[in-house]
Amino acid sequence: MGRQRKFTPWLAGITALVALAILLFPVYAVIVGSFENNAQLLGTHYNFFPPTPTLANYRNVISTQGSHILSSLIIGVATAILTLAIALPAAHALARYRFRVTVAVVASLLVAQILPSIVIANSLFVVYHKLHLLNSYPGLILADASYAVPFSILVMRAFMLGLPTDVLQAARVDGATEWGTFVRIVLPMSRSAIITVALFAFLNGWGDFIFALTLLNGSTLQPITLSIYNYIGVFSSNLGAAMALAVFAILPAAMMLIAAQRYIAAGLTVGSVKG
Amino acid sequence: MFLIPAGLYVLFAFVVPVIYNLILSFEVTTPATIASLFAPWAGISNYKLTLLQSITQSALIRTLTFTVLSLLFQFLIGFGLALLFNLRFPLNKLARSLVIVPWLLPFLVTGFIFRFLFQLEAGAVNQVLVDLHLIHAPIGYLLSPGWAYVTVLITNIWLGVPFFTVLLFSALQDVPPELKEAAMIDGAGPWQTLVRVTLPVIRPVIEVTFVLGFVFTVKVFDIVISLTQGGPANSTQLIATWAYNLSFQQFDYGAGAALNTVLLIIALLVAPIYIRLNRDSLRQG
Repeated sequence: MGRQRKFTPWLAGITALVALAILLFPVYAVIVGSFENNAQLLGTHYNFFPPTPTLANYRNVISTQGSHILSSLIIGVATAILTLAIALPAAHALARYRFRVTVAVVASLLVAQILPSIVIANSLFVVYHKLHLLNSYPGLILADASYAVPFSILVMRAFMLGLPTDVLQAARVDGATEWGTFVRIVLPMSRSAIITVALFAFLNGWGDFIFALTLLNGSTLQPITLSIYNYIGVFSSNLGAAMALAVFAILPAAMMLIAAQRYIAAGLTVGSVKG
Repeated sequence: MFLIPAGLYVLFAFVVPVIYNLILSFEVTTPATIASLFAPWAGISNYKLTLLQSITQSALIRTLTFTVLSLLFQFLIGFGLALLFNLRFPLNKLARSLVIVPWLLPFLVTGFIFRFLFQLEAGAVNQVLVDLHLIHAPIGYLLSPGWAYVTVLITNIWLGVPFFTVLLFSALQDVPPELKEAAMIDGAGPWQTLVRVTLPVIRPVIEVTFVLGFVFTVKVFDIVISLTQGGPANSTQLIATWAYNLSFQQFDYGAGAALNTVLLIIALLVAPIYIRLNRDSLRQG
């Protein structure tokens, strides 16, 4: 028993290391690939290290994809802002007041979470065509928020239900309006949940492909997911540049994991966070 | 007042698209009719024509097997990792945070990377398998129908494992240690403790994980488009990608909408279970 106790941590650690190596290998591969040229990427054997590391792919991406990276950033940030603007007040109302409709609203949000994006995309395409919202930031951002809005309201409501009610009541007694209580007390106390929700809404907008593919024609406005997809069509000619662009595409996730790890873990634990 | 923006948004992004999808599915649609919001009535012909197509039928069956196999392997691997992380070992916390990575990447990028890993020449998978003498010659994974399906499946399992791991791990953390100790004292081995004590305790979380996993998997789209675009010869078409193909590549929006309705019904099959699992949060407030 004693020997087993000493042995187990190392065995578990090594098993975890092997599992991680397999799970993270694709990320490693795309980073290595981004430093290789096309001949190496499409040669006769796979390179575990770049034989002659080059920054040419990154130079290529920065000179040709800058506007697309900017578009993805705008879409991600705007999706996060729109999601918060919709979800925060709604979560507050659903957490504080027992409306007769509260149960129905929460249940319908659970159902909304389930709806496949392709169904929404197919309809929105026809509706947008009529409203002239195709190929536009507002149209795409409104669609992208559909990943995060139901989830965000549910998560924020669950969090706000846990806020101490006496603080909120004290504010009320002091004559604060509902809006004042919400802005000055509820929101500051919900900071960590707000960060979690905002991060995932950003990642949803940043990583969206289905709405970008269906609601844009790629001429004027093109986020990087669409750029990478277009590279696939001409796989052999530009694989190196596509690799470098893919590294850009996974950068926000990596940065968030480092900077905001506990929020990410919190978001995952509460459940479905990706569309 | 506070609910107005959310109410309007739900109408715009969910209620209207679902109802409009239903309307579209009963209309005769051509590229020309897209200019107007409404087209001539088609009765159930969209449903009949689409569902009688053999590609549609195999996409339906394929989505089913794909979902079952994905969830099975995601659960087995995810639960194994959760049990592993439940043990004490050096750098456990760091390992747990890194395990999330596959889930955070844009799905399209995941498909793109796996396309590179599974390519015929200079692909890492072939290279490793040949070097280990597990295969004699490189396999064209994305060129043969059977292998292409397996490749999409492996990719989907890879990106879903973190989700299962994290949820099941947090459930394992909540199992009271006294319960396990009591079982051990009663003479239960590790396996019996797992099956008789741990699994029943975390069952609600397992159910939620499977329900959400089901919802994610029946609508898989991005990785198929970036890995195979549904090919070769439609051998990796799932419901969502085939509906996209009908609407946006064949410009038959009515047929796409009809298939979308079927996808919607399949996804909504788990809605009652999902709502029931969330009944505690429904009762609050």
